[in-house]
Amino acid sequence: MSSRKKVLLKVIILGDSGVGKTSLMNQFVNKKFSNQYKATIGADFLTKEVIVDDRIVTMQIWDTAGQERFQSLGVAFYRGADCCVLVFDVTAPNTFKSLESWRDEFLIQASPRDPDNFPFVILGNKVDLDNRAVSAKRAQQWCQSKNDIPYFETSAKEAVNVELAFQTIARNALAQETEAELYNEFPDQIKLNANDNGRNRDGDNCAC
Amino acid sequence: MSTSSVDEIPDQSKDLFTQDGVLLKNCVGRPVTDLNSIGMLCIVQNADGTKCVEWRPNDLITIDSDTQDQEWAVVNTVGRRQRTLSGNMTSDYATLRARIIKIPLEELKTFKVTRNNQQMQFSTKQGVWQTTFYFQHGNAEIFVAYLKNHVKTAKTRHDRNTYVVVEPNVESQVLNRSFAELDIFTENTTDVVWNLVSNFKQRPYETTLEAFSKLTDIVYYGNEGLNGKRDVSEEVADLLTKSMSAMEDATTITKNEEYEVVSVKPTLPPRPCIPRGTPLSTEKWDALQDKDGRITEVEGVKQLIFRGGVAHSIRQSVWKHLLDYYPWQMSHSEIRAHQKKKTEEYFSMKLQWRSMTEGQESRFSEYRDRKSLVEKDVNRTDRTHPFYAGDNNPNLVVLQDILMTYVMYNFDLGYVQGMSDILAPLLLLLGNEVDSFWCFVGFMEKIASNFDMDQAGMKHQLLQLQQLLMFASPDLAQHLAQKDSGNMYFCFRWLLVWFKREFSHIDIMRLWEVLWTGLPCANFHLLICVAILDAEKDVLISKDYGFTEILKHVNDLSMSLDVDRILSTAEGIYHQIVSAPHLNDQIRIILGMEPLNMANSAHSGNSDRQEAGTSRTQTNGNETRTNGNEHTGPFGQDIDEVMYQIGLDMNF
Repeated sequence: MSSRKKVLLKVIILGDSGVGKTSLMNQFVNKKFSNQYKATIGADFLTKEVIVDDRIVTMQIWDTAGQERFQSLGVAFYRGADCCVLVFDVTAPNTFKSLESWRDEFLIQASPRDPDNFPFVILGNKVDLDNRAVSAKRAQQWCQSKNDIPYFETSAKEAVNVELAFQTIARNALAQETEAELYNEFPDQIKLNANDNGRNRDGDNCAC
Repeated sequence: MSTSSVDEIPDQSKDLFTQDGVLLKNCVGRPVTDLNSIGMLCIVQNADGTKCVEWRPNDLITIDSDTQDQEWAVVNTVGRRQRTLSGNMTSDYATLRARIIKIPLEELKTFKVTRNNQQMQFSTKQGVWQTTFYFQHGNAEIFVAYLKNHVKTAKTRHDRNTYVVVEPNVESQVLNRSFAELDIFTENTTDVVWNLVSNFKQRPYETTLEAFSKLTDIVYYGNEGLNGKRDVSEEVADLLTKSMSAMEDATTITKNEEYEVVSVKPTLPPRPCIPRGTPLSTEKWDALQDKDGRITEVEGVKQLIFRGGVAHSIRQSVWKHLLDYYPWQMSHSEIRAHQKKKTEEYFSMKLQWRSMTEGQESRFSEYRDRKSLVEKDVNRTDRTHPFYAGDNNPNLVVLQDILMTYVMYNFDLGYVQGMSDILAPLLLLLGNEVDSFWCFVGFMEKIASNFDMDQAGMKHQLLQLQQLLMFASPDLAQHLAQKDSGNMYFCFRWLLVWFKREFSHIDIMRLWEVLWTGLPCANFHLLICVAILDAEKDVLISKDYGFTEILKHVNDLSMSLDVDRILSTAEGIYHQIVSAPHLNDQIRIILGMEPLNMANSAHSGNSDRQEAGTSRTQTNGNETRTNGNEHTGPFGQDIDEVMYQIGLDMNF
């Protein structure tokens, strides 16, 4: 079986408006923070190559608009996702309460093959601010109750935990990919399907 | 926690279309508790390629964060796996999924739209309407328009709101299939059609053009009567036979000329190069007003602005007219009185939210949410422009105040992302809170449907854009369709804020003032999209870009576009389209032109959405063919359509 080929991981960032989705993506990809990002309209993505367990992996990170009414268009962008990052603002409890509906909406629209084990990662962003309103404990408890979703406290502004969080995102997305192939006797067929979705993965990404 | 069961979401099924705000009114075999819940109606393609209409309750999307407390929401679902007390995701999810309603298109017999596009009913068994949906926004016609891309339908004779599914058209999506893909003209085929084509290919271009343009309508624009391959072939045969009999002196076939036929696709006339004019100058503007300041030659003014825009020095006054804040015919003194009245009105609305106490606010979550959203967006609107840059910039406060007052002006719409982008250039130019507010109101009047809760307005425009592109740049439209991009989502940002993110402030002012004139046709902004895309056509096709690359490429065009060139191209495309011999009613309606086929125009205001896909250009005088009208002659229906109608008429 071929191995060690380039892998493309599609990651979707979701969360309420203004929680810092675009900032997190830019901090991770460009190592930059700006106060001048505009509200995202429609969708955009950035790519970055990372190394996970000696493998070169290209992360394609998708950023979408946070206002609820724009989600009905999300389906076109969620398709074929390997990991979903849910972001809330630790200073805004409402954005934490929305996590559940963001997760459910994603599962419905993306329709992953195994919704129970689809990798999510939760980021509590803006920990640099001092008017914190959602405690780490509360967030952690919620994540544990949801099948132990990994949780990170981040600051896109001060680059706190961003690298670490995205490393985990890449690793979990990759594990999911590999696992999906182990379940299938004919991994090549899976590959064809993935290509049908309009994604440009090259070759087999099975590590075994 | 992982379980595998038949309830799991099937692999690779995908939504082809979704529409929000759809209430389940009735469904045979469902408990009453499942009814009257709001959800989303979709057209779904399953893993095996079959399609279905699917309704999903919103609960599935918006389970509250404390799932454990929400048991009551689903307890009445019968015959499904037991829910665990912990409310873990697997069981919640599975139980909720049990409430999804699926109607396989293969089983769908009839559907009808009633109550002014508010109600849609489906039947898989003659005589029973099993499922009834209520469209909160009264826009069922949009769903029907999309559904008709996937099933072949005929309208019943007695009730034009009822559609009979003549053939569940599992394979072909006419909109997404090119002429070539339909396999009519393959070289090896021994098909009758090909023989006809071969015999025919020597004929003069002119005499065939009409017939082919008719054929193109059928193939490109989708038609109830002709979705399948076989039908298209028959139609080709029919058309060609007619043309042949009109032209007796057929010449011999030469093999190397075969491509002649394939190339007889309807082509647009050459694109005229229309130079831009000079901006409306102060002198001209002054001359256009009478001594009291009234402007009577409104159309003339608009023509000038369409041609060259407005000189920056007079934009402040011209924009107020263009955006319907100042009526054109008002004299100076009338305008002063009008302005006074509008100023008072503005401040009384502003006072409404300014006087809200903290306590009131704490008990008014909808208001609070909007306020917080406005605040967030104002702080990230055009902050690189000097007018809005820097900390504690007072102009940001004005932006915020105008948007909050707009929330009071139009609470139903409220604040939607994108509005701050629309307002920023207005305030930048006008510099005055009240003027900017009323001009913003005028602009919003023109684009309010962009901000619909269910995004119906955006979806409709994306569909219209796709149709225009198919007409004006079919190669590109076909490429996009093949690359899963026929939905045109990559143009979403362009349309939502009228290209605000794609141009500099000075260029967006030029583009907007031209578009505000409403010239030379309705939906000219869609032709701007076509112009930009047409210029990128070669790159998109030659590099074989897929969905992601197309989106990236389009997003990256931002700030590199030449506004004058695009306006000129768009106008050229407009002239190409309107002078094309195969211009059909679908395109005419999008551009606000009177449809040729009066049967269509006789319908109500919404008819364009519903009828656009079914009209055909009349090119051949001896054949009249219109779907869904009383005058349909024997040509209009084939035998199975009639059979279905008889069956239906007996049962309903």
